[in-house]
Amino acid sequence: MSEAGTRLVISALILRPIVRETIRTLLTILGIAVGVAVVVAIELSNQSALRAFGESVDAIAGRANYQIVSEAVPIPEDVLIRLQPLWRRGVRFAPIIDIEGVIEPDQTPIRLLGVDLLSDLHFRDYRYATVMTSATERPQSRADDEPANARMISTWLDLFRDDSIVVAASFAHEHRLALGSVLRIDVLGHERRMTIRGILEPRGPATAFNGSIAVADIAAAQTSFGLTGKLTRIDLLVPDASADELLREVRRVIPAGARVERPSQRNERVAKMLRAFRINLFALAGVALLVGMFLVYNTVLISILRRRRDVGIFKTLGVSPRQIFLAFLSEGLVFGLIGSAAGIALGDALASAILRLIGRTINSLYVTSSPEAIVLKPAIIALGATVGTLLSLVSAIQPSLEAARVRPIVLIQPGLHQRVGRKNNRALALASIACFAAGTLVSFIPPYRGIAVAGYVGVLFIVAGFSLPAPMIVTAVSHGLAPLLRRIFGVVGQLAPASLPASLRRTAVASAALSLATGMMVAVALMVGSFRETVRIWVDQTVGSDLWLRPSRGLTNAQIALFPESISADLAKVGFIAAFDRVRGKDIAYGESIIAVGSGDFPVTGGFGVLPMVKPRSAAAALARALAIDGVFISESFAIKFDKDVGDSVVLPTAHGMRGFPITGIYRDYSNDRGVVVMDRSLYIRSFEDHAINTVAIFLKPGVDPEWARVELEHRFGPSYHAFAITNRSIRREVMTIFDQTFLITYALLGVAIAVAVLGIVNTLAALILERARELALLRVLGLSAAELRRMLVLESSLLGLVSTAVGLVMGYVLSFELIYVINKQSFGWTIDFHTPAALIAISLAVTFLSASVAGFIPARLAARIDLASAIKAE
Amino acid sequence: MPSQSLLMRIRLEDVSHDYGRSEESAPVHVLTSVSIEIASGDFAVLMGASGSGKSTLLNLIGAVDRPSAGRVWLGESETSALDEASLTRIRRTSIGFIFQFFNLVPTLDVQENLAFPLALAGVSRAEIAARAADVLERIGLAHRATHYPNELSGGEMQRVAIGRAIIHRPPLILADEPTGNLDSKTGEQILDLIRDIHRSQRPTIVMATHSDRAASYGDYVIEVADGRVRGRSAARP
Repeated sequence: MSEAGTRLVISALILRPIVRETIRTLLTILGIAVGVAVVVAIELSNQSALRAFGESVDAIAGRANYQIVSEAVPIPEDVLIRLQPLWRRGVRFAPIIDIEGVIEPDQTPIRLLGVDLLSDLHFRDYRYATVMTSATERPQSRADDEPANARMISTWLDLFRDDSIVVAASFAHEHRLALGSVLRIDVLGHERRMTIRGILEPRGPATAFNGSIAVADIAAAQTSFGLTGKLTRIDLLVPDASADELLREVRRVIPAGARVERPSQRNERVAKMLRAFRINLFALAGVALLVGMFLVYNTVLISILRRRRDVGIFKTLGVSPRQIFLAFLSEGLVFGLIGSAAGIALGDALASAILRLIGRTINSLYVTSSPEAIVLKPAIIALGATVGTLLSLVSAIQPSLEAARVRPIVLIQPGLHQRVGRKNNRALALASIACFAAGTLVSFIPPYRGIAVAGYVGVLFIVAGFSLPAPMIVTAVSHGLAPLLRRIFGVVGQLAPASLPASLRRTAVASAALSLATGMMVAVALMVGSFRETVRIWVDQTVGSDLWLRPSRGLTNAQIALFPESISADLAKVGFIAAFDRVRGKDIAYGESIIAVGSGDFPVTGGFGVLPMVKPRSAAAALARALAIDGVFISESFAIKFDKDVGDSVVLPTAHGMRGFPITGIYRDYSNDRGVVVMDRSLYIRSFEDHAINTVAIFLKPGVDPEWARVELEHRFGPSYHAFAITNRSIRREVMTIFDQTFLITYALLGVAIAVAVLGIVNTLAALILERARELALLRVLGLSAAELRRMLVLESSLLGLVSTAVGLVMGYVLSFELIYVINKQSFGWTIDFHTPAALIAISLAVTFLSASVAGFIPARLAARIDLASAIKAE
Repeated sequence: MPSQSLLMRIRLEDVSHDYGRSEESAPVHVLTSVSIEIASGDFAVLMGASGSGKSTLLNLIGAVDRPSAGRVWLGESETSALDEASLTRIRRTSIGFIFQFFNLVPTLDVQENLAFPLALAGVSRAEIAARAADVLERIGLAHRATHYPNELSGGEMQRVAIGRAIIHRPPLILADEPTGNLDSKTGEQILDLIRDIHRSQRPTIVMATHSDRAASYGDYVIEVADGRVRGRSAARP
């Protein structure tokens, strides 16, 4: 047949019906669009959050192609002298202080860059929008009587004063700051008043961290913030031609604990750190897409069943099976293309909302970064279009093949050929059992590069295992409930359960889609509920102190704001304190990963605190042993990720070079999934020469009222240390709030999946109405009233909802085991105890069931419009 | 089962019916000024070629459709003036339908299809069972009671349709080409069955057909052509 013929077939079988059946078309497109939108939105917001971090690192690194870095301890300044001989060989270097701080009293986070303002121009591009002249500050004294170039020099010299700071124009604008404004900056426990004497145009480093950056002269930064003679980094420009040899020389002169790396390596580490988090989000978006696929499969299948006669006639007239196949495949393609386009637009709109949610999580749990504006790049458009179109096409393949294969005589015979034969049932049951077996087996496969690949594959097997027997389940439940429904609803109750198995091919697919969405909802509710309960119990156990004293209000700035060591002596003088535990931690590079090293006063932890242990059982003995042999504790996630056990040792970059620490205990820690190594404070100070303190846990003497003590401590330590005292209860509440924020997006994504699945039910039932027009008209002709017909259809959708929710509940429990004991453990390295959030599950099941029932009203309205006379005319 | 007399006089007065009254297309006149009267207990045959308007006439009599103009009476009720709920009630209690394509409910088995009008009327299960057994016996399908429509032959399906049309003892039975989809031998058996029912229960029967052989079973023939009634003649045996 000619190409024109194929076009005619496609037009007759696919395009015209698509246009004519508006509701069905719109519902299917909406289903795909929502799935694609979620994927696009997540990728957009992920990229924005990551890009913000990456671009900030690049902007700060400037033209440097290598950096000398040392997370463990600051780099001594004299390294610069040892680097000096390399200057002649073309190596340029810039000393840097790069630290995070907060602006008081609002605790606005800011990145402080201390640079040599004169030589740093080799590396970074500063363009001053305005610089405060001395004239502006003291107009009368020098402005008019000095020659112009002298005035210029004195202007620039003002930037070198030890209270001068330069901020980005955007930051100044946002916080209503101007030249001459005074900022109280708190860095590493040192608070200084700095005057804004320059404002940078938004380019180069001024664009980093969304402009939340301040630049000061390096000498001023060193003296102001307790880093005299120290650097946090040295940026290098190494000629590429002899880079290998020069870098060898550089490595020879740098101190122990420091290393040379490319600026991009830090980005890579951060990207790696966020990988498990991102992949989890994608897996959830995948659920929405999978449900969307069911919808396309169902739509194409319905098209074929409805146009059975037309296909038969076309085949009789000589249309080839290939053309029939292509025609129905093109239906999937059309839905895929339009759905993807709509989904990309919708995803773009959704992204900023998602970005707010995940940005908060990334800031709370991973790195400080201010996300950038959402940019819809061609790569993301391509991703959305590919995902939507490919999945639609894949979903359409099986039903299209079926249409192509069927003999024409079968297609034009009257009657519905929908009952699934016994032989098919057996095959489906066997396939289902095979899927469950495969799902169980793959769960034993270890993670691949920290990603629980096998766990996700296991989820797919479980979903398939539950979806395959859907036709049997729908039939069995319908038959089982028929007598009861007949007794309650009379003739309507007799018809509804009979019609579901009769149109099994479509109802089973709709039911499987809703079961999948419900199952995932239940599974995630179980996982998050279990996790939440586990964390709650853990927080109750570990937050044993009466009060916490910290230099910042919120937990999110906890890493940035610090107390100086001197607070210890002042705390020791407070009469109502029984003991205090000084907590300090920071991120350090561990191989290709970033881990946290923490410290506390082990004798206090042993005497007053509670540490939930994994191994050995007793924390006290393990702590005592750690004190005796300079040992460390590691978190459960560290033990799982890096395969370490008690008795092994962990090698860390310290101020005195790489050093091994024996492991004496493994404890549970849900605050950090990257892995934590904890040691006694004295060992920490010896190893890292870091005296700062993040938080002080305070144990009160018996009988002291915590609330009174809180007020008293804030009164004593507030003015001098910017200290906030928080009660045990508030800290627990704060942790749970952060937890709930983190999982908000999870619920949002699953809600979307449920919505798509309910659309599937509406779509299927609406299509069934169109197909059953004759049968429904006949029922009306025989005397079924319009109200009874409506009731029958709503009963059908309720029955479908009931079957799907019940299967979803069982599937959810099975999936939750996979999520909790395989995926979660492999991705984050922590054990979660199983808890059932009964109310949450009951509510989500009720919502799903009710949505499915209500979905029946839409087709019922369609049915009311059927024209009896034309519907019962001969076929 | 509401008691009702098996008396149903049918009267159509100046009835016209059009299809396709949209803005783009001109209406198609299917029936033009049709006036007929069928006395209670008559077996009337509507005869005409394909597209002559017989099925539309049957739909109007059966309260499935409303005329574009004119009036239709079934017994004392003017169905052309009734609302949908009343029409549903009349169809449910007073009319039995037999179609060319059988129109059995595919999701119900033979016994359930037969029982359907009784179930709608709220008849007790015991009585439904008794009457269904009776009708199954009468249409000769007792052995097929639990079979589904797609497991039956054409003749068997039409027997079930006839059973369904009489089980609630309606005063009016409408048959639209009841043998149109059957071979001649099966067709005759079906017509014999309809005649037996007419003789034993005396309902009013209106049967549309274009077959002379089928027409010979009626009391008289109403000729329909081009949407008009051309006359009434005695059935030729």
